[in-house]
Amino acid sequence: MPKSGRPIRILTVLAAAAAFAAVAVSTAGASPARHAGTTITGAGSSFVSPLVAQWITPIGAAYGYELQYSAVGSGAGVAAITSRTVDFGASDAPLTPDQFTACNGCLQIPWALGATAIMYNLPGVKNLLHMDGPTLAQIFMGQITTWNDPAIAKLNPGVSLPSTKIAIAHRSDNSGTTFNFTDYLSSVSPAWKSQIGSGVAVNWPVGSGGKGSSGVAALVSQTPGAIGYADVFFAIHNHLSYFTMKNRSGKYATPGLRGMLAAASSDQTPDANNALSIVNPPAKYPNAYPIATFTYVIVPQQSSKAADLKKFLFWAVTKGQTYGPKLFFQPIPKSVLVVAEKTIAKIHS
Amino acid sequence: MSAQGLTGPGLRLDRLPRRRRVNRLMEGLAWLAAAIAIAILGVVVFSVAQKGASELNLNLLTKPPIQFSLTNAPQGLANAFAGTLVIVGLATAMALPVGILVAVYLNEFAPASIRNGVSMALDILNGVPAIVIGIFVFGLLVVGSGQSGLKGAFALSCLMLPLVARATMEVLALVPNSLREAGLGLGVPQWRTTLSIVLPQTVGGIVTGTVLAVARVAGETAPLLFTSSLVGTQTSWNPYHALQTVPVAIFELSESPDPADHARAWAAALVLLVFILIASLAGRWLATRSRTKMLAR
Amino acid sequence: MTALDLTDATRRPFTGRRVRFGDVALQVVAGAAAAAATVLVGLIIWKVIDGARPAISHYGLHFVWRIAWNPVLGREVYGAGSFLFGTAITSLFALCLAAPLAMGIALFLSELAPRGVRAPVTALVETLAAVPSVVIGLWGILVLGPALRTNIESWLHSAFGFIPLFGDPSQAGASIFTAIIVLTIMILPIVSSISRELFLGVPPELKEGALALGTTRWEMVRGVVFPYARGGIAAALILGLGRAVGEAIAVTQVIGGGVFIHANLFGGGDTLASKIAASYQGSSTNLQTASLVYLGLILLVFSLLANISAQLIVRRVARRHGITRGGHA
Repeated sequence: MPKSGRPIRILTVLAAAAAFAAVAVSTAGASPARHAGTTITGAGSSFVSPLVAQWITPIGAAYGYELQYSAVGSGAGVAAITSRTVDFGASDAPLTPDQFTACNGCLQIPWALGATAIMYNLPGVKNLLHMDGPTLAQIFMGQITTWNDPAIAKLNPGVSLPSTKIAIAHRSDNSGTTFNFTDYLSSVSPAWKSQIGSGVAVNWPVGSGGKGSSGVAALVSQTPGAIGYADVFFAIHNHLSYFTMKNRSGKYATPGLRGMLAAASSDQTPDANNALSIVNPPAKYPNAYPIATFTYVIVPQQSSKAADLKKFLFWAVTKGQTYGPKLFFQPIPKSVLVVAEKTIAKIHS
Repeated sequence: MSAQGLTGPGLRLDRLPRRRRVNRLMEGLAWLAAAIAIAILGVVVFSVAQKGASELNLNLLTKPPIQFSLTNAPQGLANAFAGTLVIVGLATAMALPVGILVAVYLNEFAPASIRNGVSMALDILNGVPAIVIGIFVFGLLVVGSGQSGLKGAFALSCLMLPLVARATMEVLALVPNSLREAGLGLGVPQWRTTLSIVLPQTVGGIVTGTVLAVARVAGETAPLLFTSSLVGTQTSWNPYHALQTVPVAIFELSESPDPADHARAWAAALVLLVFILIASLAGRWLATRSRTKMLAR
Repeated sequence: MTALDLTDATRRPFTGRRVRFGDVALQVVAGAAAAAATVLVGLIIWKVIDGARPAISHYGLHFVWRIAWNPVLGREVYGAGSFLFGTAITSLFALCLAAPLAMGIALFLSELAPRGVRAPVTALVETLAAVPSVVIGLWGILVLGPALRTNIESWLHSAFGFIPLFGDPSQAGASIFTAIIVLTIMILPIVSSISRELFLGVPPELKEGALALGTTRWEMVRGVVFPYARGGIAAALILGLGRAVGEAIAVTQVIGGGVFIHANLFGGGDTLASKIAASYQGSSTNLQTASLVYLGLILLVFSLLANISAQLIVRRVARRHGITRGGHA
């Protein structure tokens, strides 16, 4: 009969369509990756992402590793490593006891030192403005709404401030930078501590949310009169001004390398889980920038990629730190480095 | 259906000028509405075209992105385009056979009650928001074992399935029963009749449905956020890993402060839009053409 | 009208004649596919309920209208109230804007357009439906939002600022107002194309009869077309509403984010879908994750209701008008 080849053709088409999946999958396994080395995947803090991004090329050159890092926020990074979706997580906020339990045998290792800049967009005002903790808390609580408010003027005598409305930009995702910033606000403002508190995400009374440090920087860049917070790299990279913050000794410190190093001297002993707190350091550190923070890599103590992870992390806390200064990350102090290396050595397969 | 106001007092002749004015006003508003629709589409497409064209170059397709580039080294979205090809391709491979088989069952074998039930299930599936599909696949496949391009493809195939099935059902229904009767009358077994006589008539409609389904999912972002978003910058064709895709890349770039990122987002959006528009228009042209062919029989 | 109805032999494939393996095989395989498709729907519903279970057992039904979302450890409390409000405001306003526009377009394309214009404009409207939501969101953040902020929001605020609805203009254009406009653009094609097909399906003799009585075209539309298509229009509006409610990506790009309920259209907020998209990639606790899935469950329930009611209306209308299955495109 005519067209007797048709059923064969139809069946072949259907079979080929279904086989396409199998073929693609099997050849994909054999397809040449550009870098025929181990892939190390990580996710988390956008705060540290500029530094980790700089590591991709040199670590590939040194060991042939293909480093993949997604800056999805500290909270998401912790979630990702907990579910072992990635090889390492990165968080600026130290893990809580509950998170350690959920992570089931994870190690927390400080691997970078940075600062959270409070950046702002105020065209017409050239020099960097002064700011202190209590006033900043009032701004973020929505109690101070214009730039020429007396509280701000008092900190900046001689500067003519416009009457522009203040627009707040905060993080919409779970963020270690938020933790660092709210930790600071809680320590300088009892009102903030009781009403809002600190965490990787809080109930912001006012403002718009941006996703990631980039998102906050975007909001601030696009809105005259805006104030936001992010790692200092994002402020500089996007040509945004930032406040010099009054520390406990009364000086106005900038979020530069010196300010970070001085702040780091205030806590030289990591706790049992290697967490350090250097927010709002005491007055005997006159150059300390009060909103500095260590940031941590979270790795499982037992991993099939143990050898590669150890190599990568040893490199990160030593050679990797040399890439920091031009991105406004202060190399971690010796005392912290010793602890970090001891912890890295614990990773086993 | 009542013809309200169409008799007696409603049609008074002395009110004719006023009625004519109202009529002209309404017609004018309808023209205005159409003009607004055209204007909106024009503005969107024009924005994408204008802003995208400036950054559109071969680098976009061949170079990987560089996170926080401190130099002006050329970068692009090669990983995203590769990933979209892989994931959409796999999704089509998953949805197409199942969709055709479902349509064959419903049209050729199923009693009316089952047909209505499964049809309703397909319509419900079509109406589930894409983000809920993302949550579903995340909970089913990703939790505990990680993301991958395959899981993203599965999520997209859930969105494609109702479209392919419905398109196939429509063309199967158009195949005249005389064809089936002829086959069976000649002694051809039913399975062979279906596969060799009936289905070949529907190839045009199936292709149309598939093309339209591909156009629909090529731009889908939400399910991929849950299944294939933790990605690196290198181009990979391996579906066992999470792959970057064009819609997710556009989504991430759109929230960046860097105007260079915005430019890349516009360019990628332009490529995506052109692809989807060509696919949609081709799909609809094929649909009218095959329907005319079937009805002319 | 299936093949089953055709011959006696096929009606009872297992009796009276030799069983063909091929027939059984095809029926089984195709039936399995159909079963899989149905099971998939059930699986989706079950998995979403399962993922939300910790939040459901913790909060119960009260979650649905509680206005709170505090992720701070030690003070965690979650509720869907503010997002339900955001979804309601954005979707309903968008529907109010889109419905008359869509009716106008549909009337234009079915009654008024000159022959040569009909096809291109129809294609244009359907093309708008094909634009991916992430592209509309990109355009919304970078073009529409700032334009609305500088031109419309500031003007409305200065002119009508005493109404709480028109409070302080948004930062950079991310606001509920922008989200409403974006949603209007996105549901316009669906509502208008369904309405257009409804209007085209009105029996010509009814329309001609009215015109013969001396009505103007608008009176004919109002008196014949709208009543005839009433049910279908309702279904189209419900489907458009369902689409607006479920839209996550474009909305999260332009809506600005926020947890509190406020009257200012130009402020930020979140809808059920946009909150999920914004917080998707991880939350710090199991309760937060479960609460996000609970939001998804509410979304799913709503879209199921919208879908099923639209289908029921369509079926009732089809029965009333004597349209057999497969008669509508």
